[in-house]
Amino acid sequence: MSARASQGRNVATNSLAQIGHCGLFLLTLLAAIPRSFRYLRETIRQLWFVGAMSLTIIMVCGLFVGMVLMLQLYHVLSIFGGTSASGMVVALSVYRELGPVVTALLFAGRAGTAITAEIGLMRATDQISAMEMMAVDPIAYVATPRFLAGLIAMPLLSCVFSAMAIFGGHLVGVTWLGIDNGTFWANMTAVVDVRTDIVNGVLLKSLVFGAVVSLIAVFQGFTTPPTSEGVAYATTRTVVASSIAILALDFVLTAFLM
Amino acid sequence: MTDPVDATPDDATLVRIRGLTTVLGGKTIFDALDMDIPRGKITSIMGPSGTGKTTLLKHITGQMHGDAGSVHVDGREVAALSRQGLYKLREGIGYLFQNSALLTDFDVFENVAFPLRQHTTLPEVLIRNLVLMKLQAVGLRGAARLMPNELSGGMMRRVALARAIVFDPQLILYDEPFVGLDPVALNQVLKLILTLNQTLGITSVVVSHELAAVQQIADQVMLLSNGKVVAQGDPKTIADDGSPWTRQFFGGEADGPIPFRYPAGDYATELGFAGAAK
Repeated sequence: MSARASQGRNVATNSLAQIGHCGLFLLTLLAAIPRSFRYLRETIRQLWFVGAMSLTIIMVCGLFVGMVLMLQLYHVLSIFGGTSASGMVVALSVYRELGPVVTALLFAGRAGTAITAEIGLMRATDQISAMEMMAVDPIAYVATPRFLAGLIAMPLLSCVFSAMAIFGGHLVGVTWLGIDNGTFWANMTAVVDVRTDIVNGVLLKSLVFGAVVSLIAVFQGFTTPPTSEGVAYATTRTVVASSIAILALDFVLTAFLM
Repeated sequence: MTDPVDATPDDATLVRIRGLTTVLGGKTIFDALDMDIPRGKITSIMGPSGTGKTTLLKHITGQMHGDAGSVHVDGREVAALSRQGLYKLREGIGYLFQNSALLTDFDVFENVAFPLRQHTTLPEVLIRNLVLMKLQAVGLRGAARLMPNELSGGMMRRVALARAIVFDPQLILYDEPFVGLDPVALNQVLKLILTLNQTLGITSVVVSHELAAVQQIADQVMLLSNGKVVAQGDPKTIADDGSPWTRQFFGGEADGPIPFRYPAGDYATELGFAGAAK
């Protein structure tokens, strides 16, 4: 076997081992959920950190995504005289794909990396061991509240992102480019289906993405070598693994939900 | 399921270690180690760096398990305990970490209050008073609202000490408690360890390199080297027992039965002088 083939095989084996390890960690995490109910305050604190503190970046990015999308669509649709449909297309693109996917990518970059780095540093400074020594289960106290916070925050952030994107589209389309306000909203409400586009699109997808990103972030934090280099690698791995997982799962979910 | 309890727990011995063998990364840390830590006494574990003193504390608290042998704490075999059993055992153990391990999200007060909040339903006023009493004992009542990053290394150690004793546990494990303390703080910490032992009968295990400090408080000293207890006795006289281990360790000599140099190949060969010597 050539060196390159051997290296490729090692990468594949390591990746599979990581996925298996992460699956087992998920089971530990789920089993700890009943025990973590007594740390409700910690879950709320994490919800504030990963949810409320991410609002600014989510709102700003949502606004600009909606604005640029409308700008592009307007110029393309104007060729066919179909600019009145641009609001509708913006809404469908945002609800079905851009809302949950871009929110999840931003969430991984902002909250996921912070969770990994925080837990990694807690390990490096023996804080996790100290909890163990004080008979406090770190999975129930540290991991599960962060996981649940991500799970709850993602759909909410995705809704905020989508609303801001629609607002951005309206701002450019109606206020700047002169699309009729009534047409903009009428076309949108005529086509957008609550179950298909909002529940399956925004909420379900972002719930799955929230679970995956939070799981990866917490798992990387708990399994990183307790060194500065280890923490740096773990935060990078959180972004890379989360991004790949989000895009791959988006395809799978879209295929099943269409 | 109830956790197994030794049929004949020894009233005089709180921690009993028998035949403990641990190999980490190919290196033998403990080689059939036997050790008894008496109840209600202050025992100091001494030994050269890297000899496994902190690892020994981790075995006592169930953070690590040996490859062979047993560790019994208060009649319970640590390796055989369930997770709940282990946590129950740890509720009765205070542990002072070498690097303090304060929770960086919380201020000094909340760090000390943390075990109380997790394991009791005491009213807030009682928690407050207990925490302030412990902080007063380590001289940091005035620093209650400072964050860990605002403390010096010595202050962090004293906060960690207050946290370790907040429950008045039956056993306290001190991992290098005297490092980074100025003479005044050192004296107060020594007095505190002694007071806890004398007034509450708390068993203490002190891992330290500082013989002068240890001599003031310890009832017995155990010198650990090459995975075994190589000398044991009264702290006042152990340095003069005449054994090669105590002579080398307390005399600070490089050569002797306690290895100073990490195993390595031939020095001249590694420097490239081997050929020139021929």
